[in-house]
Amino acid sequence: MAHRKAPFKHSRAGVQVNLDDQEREILVHLLGQLDELLDDGRPAGEVDPLEALVGMRGTTDETPPATPDDPALARLLPDGNRDDPEASAEYRRLTEYGLRSRKRSGARTAAGALNRPAPVVLSSEEALSLMKALTDVRLVLGERLELKTDEDAESLHQRLWAGDEAESWMATASIYEVLTAWQEHLVVAVSKKL
Amino acid sequence: MSIAPVELEKPDTVEQPDTDVPWITLVWNDPVNTMSYVTYVFQSYFGYPKSKAERLMHDVHEKGRAVVSNGSREEMERDTEAMHEFGLWATFRKDD
Repeated sequence: MAHRKAPFKHSRAGVQVNLDDQEREILVHLLGQLDELLDDGRPAGEVDPLEALVGMRGTTDETPPATPDDPALARLLPDGNRDDPEASAEYRRLTEYGLRSRKRSGARTAAGALNRPAPVVLSSEEALSLMKALTDVRLVLGERLELKTDEDAESLHQRLWAGDEAESWMATASIYEVLTAWQEHLVVAVSKKL
Repeated sequence: MSIAPVELEKPDTVEQPDTDVPWITLVWNDPVNTMSYVTYVFQSYFGYPKSKAERLMHDVHEKGRAVVSNGSREEMERDTEAMHEFGLWATFRKDD
C-alpha cells in the first residue's frame, strides 16, 4: 500500500487520519463487527440496573458469566486468574459486563469519528478509542488466523506471499497486515502526547 | 468484596495478615500486540518512564511474562481490568 502520507499523523488539532474513503469504510465495518461480537445478546431491559450502573453482576445472579467458548471472545475477555478458578469467576463477575460495554462504546466512538466527512481529525479520546478497538480487532483476527506464537506472527508475511494458504486465510491475513501497519502509525501519533 | 462475617476473635496462631502479602499483576506475551503498543500502555496507564516501560515490554516479549504492578488484591484486579481494556493478556495473583 503506497501512502504518500503516514495513515495517522499527530498534529496540534489532534490525530490526522490520512486514509481514503474505502480504507475508512473497511475500518468502520470491522469496528461494527467487533461491536457485534461483544454483544452478549441480553436486551438492555434484562440487564440489572445496578449492573448497568456499576458494571458488575448482582450478587444474586445465579449464573455468573463463564469464560466465553469462542476463543476470540475469550481473548478479548480473558480469565483474570490462572491458578484460582474462584478468584477468576469473581473477577469475571465484577468486570466482564463493564469491559464489554466499554469496548463496545469505544468501537462505536471510533467508527463514528471515521464516518465523518474527510479530512478526519481525531480527538485524543477518539484516537485512544480507535487504538484500543484496533487492538481488539487484531486480537480477533489473530485468533481466526490461529496465531499462537511469535513465530506464527513473524511468518505471516511469508505465508501470505507464498500464497499456498486457503483463500479465506489469505484475505484475513492481508487485512491483519494492513491493520498492524496502521496501528503502528497510530501508536506513534498517540505517543506524541505522552 | 466479601460478605463474610467479620472475625472478631483473634486466631490463636499468628498468621501473616493478608495486607502484608502483596498481590501482583502479570502481563503475558502474545503474538498480536506490538512492542510499541505494549510500551505505550505501560507508560500511559502506569505512568512508568519510557526506560522502565521498555524493560518490562522486553521481559514480556523474551521471558513470556512480566510483573507490571503489585499491591492489594483489589488494586491488582483493577490493573488487570485496565490491561484487558487495552487488549493485553494480564492476570493477577498472590505473590509467592
